[in-house]
This record gives sequence, C-alpha cells and structure tokens, in this order.
Amino acid sequence: MAEQAEGGLCRVVVVGGGFSGLTAAVDAAETGAEVVLIEKNPYLGGRVAQLNKYFPKMCPPMCGLEINFRRIKTNPLIKFYTTAEVESITGSEGDFTVNVMINPGFIKDNCVSCNACAEVCPVERANDFNFGMDKTKAVYLPYNQAMPFKYTIDSRVCKGASCAKCVEACKYNAIDLSMKPEKIAIKANSVILATGWNPYDATRMDNLNFGKVKNVITNMMMERLSSVTGPTCGQIKRPSDGKVVNKIAFVQCAGSRDENHLEFCSYICCMASLKQTQYIREQNPDSEVCIFYIDIRTPGKYEQFYWKVKEDPNVTFTKGKVAKIEQAQGSDDVVVEAEDMTTGEKKRTTVDMVVLATGMEPSGASTKVNGFNYTPEGFGSPDKGLFVAGCSKNPMDVSKSAQDATGAAMKAIKSGQRR
Amino acid sequence: MSEQQKTEVTVKPDLEFVKDVIASGGGDLKKCYQCSTCTVVCSVTPDDKPFPRKEMLYAQWGMKDKLISNPDIWLCHQCSDCTAYCPRGAKPGEVLGAVRKMAIQHYSAPSFLAKMVNDPKYLIVLLAFPAIIFLALLHYQGFLFGEIPRNEMGQIAFSKMFYPTYYIDPVFVPAALFAVISFIMGIKRYWADMARNHPLPAGSDTTSSLIETLKEIISHNNFKKCNVTKDRSTAHLLVFFSFIGLAITTSWAVFYLYILGRPSPYPLYDPMKIVGNVSAIGLLIGITLVTNNRMKNAIKAGKGSYYDWLFISVIYVIAVTGILAQLTRLADIAPVAYFIYFLHLVFVFFLFFYAPFSKMAHMVYRTTAMVFARQAKR
Repeated sequence: MAEQAEGGLCRVVVVGGGFSGLTAAVDAAETGAEVVLIEKNPYLGGRVAQLNKYFPKMCPPMCGLEINFRRIKTNPLIKFYTTAEVESITGSEGDFTVNVMINPGFIKDNCVSCNACAEVCPVERANDFNFGMDKTKAVYLPYNQAMPFKYTIDSRVCKGASCAKCVEACKYNAIDLSMKPEKIAIKANSVILATGWNPYDATRMDNLNFGKVKNVITNMMMERLSSVTGPTCGQIKRPSDGKVVNKIAFVQCAGSRDENHLEFCSYICCMASLKQTQYIREQNPDSEVCIFYIDIRTPGKYEQFYWKVKEDPNVTFTKGKVAKIEQAQGSDDVVVEAEDMTTGEKKRTTVDMVVLATGMEPSGASTKVNGFNYTPEGFGSPDKGLFVAGCSKNPMDVSKSAQDATGAAMKAIKSGQRR
Repeated sequence: MSEQQKTEVTVKPDLEFVKDVIASGGGDLKKCYQCSTCTVVCSVTPDDKPFPRKEMLYAQWGMKDKLISNPDIWLCHQCSDCTAYCPRGAKPGEVLGAVRKMAIQHYSAPSFLAKMVNDPKYLIVLLAFPAIIFLALLHYQGFLFGEIPRNEMGQIAFSKMFYPTYYIDPVFVPAALFAVISFIMGIKRYWADMARNHPLPAGSDTTSSLIETLKEIISHNNFKKCNVTKDRSTAHLLVFFSFIGLAITTSWAVFYLYILGRPSPYPLYDPMKIVGNVSAIGLLIGITLVTNNRMKNAIKAGKGSYYDWLFISVIYVIAVTGILAQLTRLADIAPVAYFIYFLHLVFVFFLFFYAPFSKMAHMVYRTTAMVFARQAKR
C-alpha cells in the first residue's frame, strides 16, 4: 500500500463528526489505529452540540462532548477536517481511497475568536445552529464552545473581496478571503459512516401547518429555545411575541411511524418530549403540558422516567394523534385537534405553543456518501470494510450511538488489519 | 355506566365478517394501529364519538352488529381524507365503503340475490334474467325473426316493439314493486336495529328530521366538505339531479300514453323530450366525472371494489344506450336502433330490479341513516 498507516495498527476514515463519529474516532485511535475524521460542518459535535440536556439524567451534553474533544486534541493518531465532505470512496476492503473536498472556511487556525470581524461585518444570516430563530453575521462563531474554537465565514452570503471589512478588522491577520476549495485523497484500510440524522422536514406534514401557523416549533427547536446558549438564553418564550409559555402541547409521532413520511419509529421522540416537559415544568411552576400520543414508547429503564413525569398533575396525556393544527381566532395561540380515544371525543385544545416531536431522517435520505449502500429509507448498510454507526444506521439515542460507534470502531480495526 | 356493566362487555368476533370486509375492498383493514388521524382529518364526522377510528376497531374485531346497525357508516361520504392521511395505509374510507356494502347485503331480502349481485360470476345470470323476459315477449309478438316494426308513418317506434306498449309495463311495474317491498322490509329492520343500539331521545320527530335530511341531500352540503376528493360532490349532484330529471320524464311519458293516449315517438321540441334529453346528457357527463374522479383519486383513495364499478358501469350503459337508441332511431338505422333499445331495457331493468342489493340501495339506506342520525342528535 502506498500510504501505510504510520505507526498505527491501520488507518480508519470516519465520515461524520457527531457523537457517533467522535466516539468511533477516539475509540479506534485509543486502541492504536490512525484515524482521519471528516466533518461537513465548521465544528464537531453534530446534533448533540445543539441539545440542552440529556435524558434521563438531565445533565448537560457539552460535558461529554468536551471530554471527547480533549481526547481528540491530545491524541496524535487523530487528524480531523471540518467543512469537508466525502465525494467518493473507491477501492476495496483494506485498500480504500477516500476523496474529500475541503471547503474554505476563510479563517486560519490562529483565530482567537475575539469577535472583531463580526462587529464590522455588514451581512446577517439566519442562524442554522438555532434553526433560524436568530441571526448571526456572515462571519460567526458556530457556537460558544465550538471545536475548533474559531470563526468561520458563510460563503453563501459573504460579499467577499468587495467588502473585506473583516480582513481589516482582524488584528491577527487570520482571515484569508482568497482560500480555495481543496481536494485530498486519503488512503484507508476501512471506513466508518457516521453521518447521523436531520430533523424530518415538518413542512411536509401539510395538516400540521408548521411554518404557516405561528408558534408551532419542532422538538430540536425546543432544545435551542431551552438552552442558555440559545436565542432566548434559555427562557422558554414563544417565537411570535416573546410571551412566556404557560400552556404547551407536544405532538408525538409528527412524521414518524407514517408511511407518508418516515415509516419507522424514531425511537427518541417520546423521551425527548418527556424531557422537554421537565424543562418547562421546572422553569414555570404554573405551566401546563399536554402530550398527545399514539403509544408512549419508553423502552427499558426509560419507563421510570415516564412514570415520574406522569405523577405531575400539570401534565396530561391524551391518547390520540394530533392531525390538525390551526391558529386561534384573534390571537397568536394555537389550536390542536385530536380525538381523546379514552372518551371518544374529538377535542380542540388551545395552547401558547406547540412542539412537534419530529422524527429522525437519516442523512442518507438527502445526501448519500458515494461508495456506501443505503436502504430505501436512507439508512447506511454495512459492507466489507465499510461500517455504519449511530443514527445513520438506525434511530437511536446518544448512549446507544456511543455503544454502536465503539462496536463499529472495533470492526473497522479488525477489518483494517485484514483479520 | 355502572361497574357491573363495565365488566360485562364481551366481544364475540365474527371472523367471517372480518374476511368479508377484507375481501370487499377493506384489504388493508388490519394495518390500522388506532392513532385516530382519520377522525381528526374527517370533515363530516360529529365531534362526539367520531368516525371512522372506532369503526376500524369494530371491523378488526369482527363486531358486525355494532357496525352495520350504526348510522355513522352512512354519514361517511368516502371523501378519502382519512385514507390519504392514514399513516398506515389502512384505507378507512375503503373499509367503511365495504361495511356499507355489507350492511346493504345484510338488510336486503332475499339474501341470495344480495350474494349474486356482489359476485362477478353471477353477472351473466343476472343480466340473462331480463334479457330472456324481453326476448320471450319479442318472440311472442313475432318480431324476433320477423319483420322490423314501424308505426303508421313508417318511422321506427319503440312503442311498437312491445305493441301495445302495455307489454313492457307488466314487466317493469312488478319489478319496481318487488324492489320497493324489499326496500321497505330492509329499512324496517335497519331502523329497528339502530333504535335498539342507539335509543332515540324522547319526543324526537321523524318528519322534521326527514325534511332536514332531504334539504341536505338536495344541497349536498356535507358532501361538499370533502377535501381530498373535492370534485366528487359536483359529479354526484349531476348524476343525482339527472336521475330526478329522468324520473320526471318517465312520469310525463306515462301521462302522455295512458291519460292522453299518445304513444311515442314524440318530437324533439316536446317539453318532455327536452327534459329527458337534458337529463340523459347530464347523466352521461355526471357518470363520466364520477369515473374520472375515481381514476384520478385511485392512488390516494383506493381503486374501489367490484360493487362500486358494477353500479357505475350499469349507469354508464343506461346513459349511453338511451342516447344511442334515440340517435339511431332518428337516423333510421332500424335493426341497430331496436337492438340498442333492447340493451337499454335490459340494463334499466337491472338497475331497478336489483336496486335493493346493488350500490343503488345507498340512496335508501343513507337517507334512512341520515334521518335517524338527525333524530338521534348525531
């Protein structure tokens, strides 16, 4: 092989730098493999970086992420690229070539994140990290604990050399607007796909009127709305008028277990809604929560979490799926409609805000990595020397993703050593 | 409900009934997982005990009595909003259609005819029955292998075919009477079952409910609430009013023949002919729209069953043969004109005689259920 692993057992390329990819990379490297991690965002951490708390312990996800970041920084066997995408994987087990396009972030590694560039930048963009609920400048820090901790420029909105105010403002000469995309080819013995998931596009459920009726948000938006690093600094206020949310409805299975949308159960949404119920109940003692469900699915020990939430008299569970959402007459309130199957009554409930428990669409449904095989739903299928970890394989929670990634790392090393 | 009553609920699944529903267009019935999306997207269901979620459960569990004596199955216009939004592809609209068919079969006597109308292998037998009657009459009159009949003015005259015209009336009058008696018996049983399972409030009035129901039928206001299959109410209205037009035409012709003693043919400018021809064209357009809508909505709403398509086809043939009989008569293509008229009579007989067993019966059972539902404050 032209480029044999230098000092490592073998070389593993990990596609995706979310929790599964990070875990696979760290575990493979700490076992002795050389690892190259490819991440398309300008930062590592993926969906977990956007979460406010983990269920069931209700602890902050940044804690676990930081540990992994530190293990990456201190391990010479791991190299990672951000704003990078795999264009194709060629070759066969033991001898792959991974062709990667590294898109320019226009910011050099000597950036100290002083914010001087953003202060002079005249262009604003919707902040995709917060699902468009606030704005950043075209030059921005992805989030306040981003790894790598440096600014990046959104080339879709930046005016480029014709503006260049940021270049003048940067005391460290860290901005280079002339950076060009770069293609690299990485030799690898095995590859792990850990491209994760996207929240299912809620606008596709036309009866739920997401994007048309005010104050209907998704569960991932609720994470940002509850996070101290989010658009409201953690105050759960509804988007339309900033009113403190007092009565909230959760719509379970919004797009999951539905042959018109995602045919499978997304596994995490019931626990996510129960967790988010805690957010609002802790923040606002008078708040009321209405959860509309088909079945509450809290597998294994998670059942205890469900029992605990059920004890709260301000939380009601209605068996019946919400299939219609409308704006209340003359206000920004929202009316959800469902049949309460226990009484056989079709009822309309008016609330301040609605959270759609939207499911996990595997990233393979929209973007496929050329070289991997996929199921019709867009989940990656493992092949010789090609392994799949985390939510790109099956919907799962963070702890299961970590376990799955460790297993994938072990298989990748075994395959990489041709055993 | 007392505790004792609660514990006494027993379900006796009628497995044959479940198989029948599945075979009659409800093939995806068992896919339902009771999420109740259907009742919420339905625009025509009442808020209290809404359909079709509960009906899906009854059908899965084979609770035949709860289903067929339930007026709700007829409040459904098969808009297919439920079917389009069903996350499991269980097609509640099609299931309710199948259940309605089985309700018709259950209440209409004699039951062997109900079975035959629903089974394609008996179609030839059912058609042969009126065909043989009319052929026998023609043979009796010597027209079958003899001279082609013409009136005094040398015109083709369908009234001459069974001359005197009274010969076809001894066929159609008993056929209509048979249908009416079968309907009356069916409705009586249906009403009694409904009233037993859903007691009517004291002092409720059937006459005013009937008046309100007729207003609803004439306006199709509920039917118009359908979303996924929006155009169906227009097509149905056209077919419905065309049938009324043709009923008026028939009574008018009876008046001409029996009161005024004027046999057909009548000139095209005769007001009776104008009403008849406008209605015939309306029927043809209406039934074409019905067919087109069904084809267009097949992906979202389902293909429909033999039962649906038999009914549509019979109306189609009646409209087409009616119009062609007149055109070939005016064009003086004698053998063809008489043959088409013969086909027309066979299919008209089919529609009326088998009405209590075919989808035509929806007219009677739906109206009955709507009156009951109104009276029961549904």
